[in-house]
Amino acid sequence: MLRNYFKIAIAVLRRKKFFTFISLFGISFTLTIVIIVAAFVDNMFSAGYPDINRDRELFVSRMQIRSSTNASSINAGPSYYFIDHYVSRLKTPAKIAILSGNFPVTTYLNNKKQVTSVRSTNDQFWEVLQFQFVEGKPYTKQQIDNGEKVVVISEAVRSNYFNEGVAAVGKYIELLNMQYRVTGVVKNLPSASNVYADIFTPLTLTQEDMHEPSLVGGHTCILLLDSKANIPKMKEEFNQMAAKVPMDDKKIDNKIFDRKLVFADTFLESFVRDFHAGFTEGAGAGVDIFILIVSIFFLLFLLLPTLNLVNINISRIMDRYSEIGVRKAFGASSRTLVYQFIVENLILTFIGGAIGVGLSFIIVQVINSMDFMYNNRISVNFHVLSFALLASLVFGLLSGVYPAWRMSRMNVVMALKAQ
Amino acid sequence: MIRLQNIEKVYRTSAIETLALNSISLDIAKGEFLSVMGPSGCGKSTLLNIMGLLDAPTKGDIKIDEQRTDHFSDKQLAQFRNRKLGFVFQSYHLINDLKVLDNVELPLLYRTSSGNERKKLASAALEKVGLSNRVKHFPSQLSGGQKQRVAIARAIVGRPEIILADEPTGNLDSAMGSEIMDILLQLNATDNTTIIMVTHDEYMASKTHRLVRLFDGVLVQ
Amino acid sequence: MLTHLFKLIWNKKKQNFLLMTEMFVSFIILFAVFTALVYYYQNYHRPMGFEYDRVWKFGYNAPREISDPDSMAAFRGSVRQLIRSMPQIEEVSFSSENIPFGNDNNVGGVNYYKKNVGADKYTVDDSYSAVLHVSVKEGRWFSKEDDAAKEKPVVINETLKKSLFGNENAIGKLIGEGGEGMGNMKIVGVINDLKDKGDFAGPHNGLYRRVDTGNYGGGAILLKVSSDADRAFESRLFKVLSSTMRNPDINIQHLAYMRTRINNIRLIPVIITLIVAGFLIINVALGLFGVLWYNISKRKSEIGLRRAVGASGHSISGQLVGEALVLSTISLIVGSFFALQFPLLNIFDLPALTYLIAQGLAIAFIYLLVMICAFYPGRQAAAIYPAVALHED
Repeated sequence: MLRNYFKIAIAVLRRKKFFTFISLFGISFTLTIVIIVAAFVDNMFSAGYPDINRDRELFVSRMQIRSSTNASSINAGPSYYFIDHYVSRLKTPAKIAILSGNFPVTTYLNNKKQVTSVRSTNDQFWEVLQFQFVEGKPYTKQQIDNGEKVVVISEAVRSNYFNEGVAAVGKYIELLNMQYRVTGVVKNLPSASNVYADIFTPLTLTQEDMHEPSLVGGHTCILLLDSKANIPKMKEEFNQMAAKVPMDDKKIDNKIFDRKLVFADTFLESFVRDFHAGFTEGAGAGVDIFILIVSIFFLLFLLLPTLNLVNINISRIMDRYSEIGVRKAFGASSRTLVYQFIVENLILTFIGGAIGVGLSFIIVQVINSMDFMYNNRISVNFHVLSFALLASLVFGLLSGVYPAWRMSRMNVVMALKAQ
Repeated sequence: MIRLQNIEKVYRTSAIETLALNSISLDIAKGEFLSVMGPSGCGKSTLLNIMGLLDAPTKGDIKIDEQRTDHFSDKQLAQFRNRKLGFVFQSYHLINDLKVLDNVELPLLYRTSSGNERKKLASAALEKVGLSNRVKHFPSQLSGGQKQRVAIARAIVGRPEIILADEPTGNLDSAMGSEIMDILLQLNATDNTTIIMVTHDEYMASKTHRLVRLFDGVLVQ
Repeated sequence: MLTHLFKLIWNKKKQNFLLMTEMFVSFIILFAVFTALVYYYQNYHRPMGFEYDRVWKFGYNAPREISDPDSMAAFRGSVRQLIRSMPQIEEVSFSSENIPFGNDNNVGGVNYYKKNVGADKYTVDDSYSAVLHVSVKEGRWFSKEDDAAKEKPVVINETLKKSLFGNENAIGKLIGEGGEGMGNMKIVGVINDLKDKGDFAGPHNGLYRRVDTGNYGGGAILLKVSSDADRAFESRLFKVLSSTMRNPDINIQHLAYMRTRINNIRLIPVIITLIVAGFLIINVALGLFGVLWYNISKRKSEIGLRRAVGASGHSISGQLVGEALVLSTISLIVGSFFALQFPLLNIFDLPALTYLIAQGLAIAFIYLLVMICAFYPGRQAAAIYPAVALHED
């Protein structure tokens, strides 16, 4: 039966070449866009170098201080003091990475301007995040405690300061008018990475007032858990701890700003919380609303190509009036005909989908070769492809069901009279 | 085989009601070859469609093979047509996108049968109508008479007990028409298939067992 | 003739419904795209209001040991002295972080009695207008005479003046930082809008406060440099600055470069949307063309009949194009009903004119599209021979 459907689908496609072209154009283009967007989203949310343990990490990246008397709020990362005094005493995390926000540092080498971005981290940062070391190794807890002036640099920085491929460990680079010794060189990070920087320095070097009580300070901490299953437990422990932390920040007026909001979020949650900053106070971060909004946009985008395909499909069906009449006369039930048409349409959609996948491979190559996202390579991987398959299926069903229904309700007698 | 009792068919539009068939009663025995004649618009095709279960009567009973069909669901009707009935149309209604063999196989697709078996049965049916050498052609490559022979092969491939033919020779010249008529007569003689044929041609009608005439929806025996 | 066309469409409303829905959705998408384009175009043609060529910027933090306003003022003074002493520097100005084309914003309330509006708030010094060549419309920019002022002197931009005072005079009025009461900030000048959020940004309220001894902490420094300031000079400047200011993150940036960057940030999403919308429209055009063509080929006998009773080829193709246009008119009327809600309900805070122009463009575009798509099938229909068409059925 299916083979027969396939046969007739191909025959119909070959006969009405213009309609086939329009349909395939619409389908393949629509799916290409879906695939490219999916590739970007996948690149953004799925774990990748160096943050490969993302599914068992929680992020504390936002401390919001609010006022009960007016609408003002302060939004920034938590302070080192908060992380050091409260977060690091939690029992559930296996490891805690602490990192500062990244800040640009300018250097002029032979009148050539270099802007590198620098981040300060603790030692566990190197254990939570899986960097690939081209040479050397990360700085240790002892080196941090001793206040040694050491750095880990990226391959790109090594090429700029020294020369392409020249070993840099043990050599010195000048930063902020001081000499730093290179202990390790890591593979370049994608610019969209959540821990992006070119140079990593120990936390102690830039933080002179680390132990002054404060809440807001532009840091981020990543809690690495033993397993994904501990996430609820971790969140609960975090929330209990956060509730007990007093409002004590010397830099802000604690009379006006009397409430704080801080959460341990999964990567998606922390993204969503940033996305609608200020709207959500709950621990849930509004992920479901976010997904709802995204789905609505997705469906709206699909609406026009779907309508177009439905229109073309209906024309296509009207053209096959007599065929449908004959099939009914010879014993096809309405339901069989609906199936036939849906299968035909799915075949068409999957052919279009295959072209779309081909197109997106080309476009992804072009995007990657232009390198406008610096080291960020999107790829059409298994995830993306399975999503494309699902999207084809949804699209095929959406655009096939209504015409198929129209087809099955066609009057046989009229259909056989025509011609 | 087929028993019609007081069949009435009314077509309604918002403005007018047309009585297409007026209390028609007709018994057709198994193995009978019946021809139906009448002027255009007298309700011949409507009658044939009702016998073929493609259309339901407004009033009256229809029994095929001692079975009443008015309570059948869409799916049951489809199955019933598939098993018991074969159709031949004036304008052939072949599916242009399918080769001859695939066209003939069509009724078998709506039963459970293997691909090989389908092919065997379809080839046999084509042999019966003398078209074994055109199996791989598309309908557009055939002459009118050949197309109608393919349509007959399609009608008989499922071994139905009844064949309903709506002016099968209407689009053909007299030589080809006779050929088609011979095939139908032979089917009736050898397989004992009941055939009901609508026609305009007195000569063709004279070759059948019985002739009924329709005039303005009324049967004139 | 028109009623005849309406009749034809009305009698086939079920078949035409989907086609009309498709045109309706296309209209909505085009309306959205054109609104963005028109808005950008209008903004692009607003005057810049300041000069950014040869203006450099870097951020600074107050040194840690400074904790009282007086020593902060002294620190600023010495930095200004140091920078001014270089021959390539023409002018120096201290500003809050939210400099033109930067990423930082500082938005807050401004009120004149009960009238409350949101505004971008800048804290700048007397030489700000000289560095950026700000053009003063009424009153004056800050100067030494403000040192002794009782009320805090402020300068507002044209847009803020309009939203607070309409066409009335603003100079000398007292405004506050949100709330309801009488403010303590006295307007000393009104300046033309600075298009400081990029070429494509819309007008926004702007309030300029004078930096005073109370403001300590960090900010940005804007420099107007002479035309012979090159990379070598920038490198020297950097050395001097980083050793005197003892800041880890001094990063000299050129406003011209920052402008390109902020423009790109605004343009890229629009370009992506344009590409996507473009393909959607091509898609729709092909679909419309296909469906119209098909419909016409199905109506050969009707067309043959019309030819037989005396319709000319022109009137046949005219009729078919006309039918398609009536069909699109119905969708456009429905679409316009929705489009008109945007200016009426003031959604997104854009000027009504922008919406109306965009609506007009979208309507014109749809008509054009439909005409192109219907023209060829119409021509084909006109070429039908009545004898052949009537025989076919």
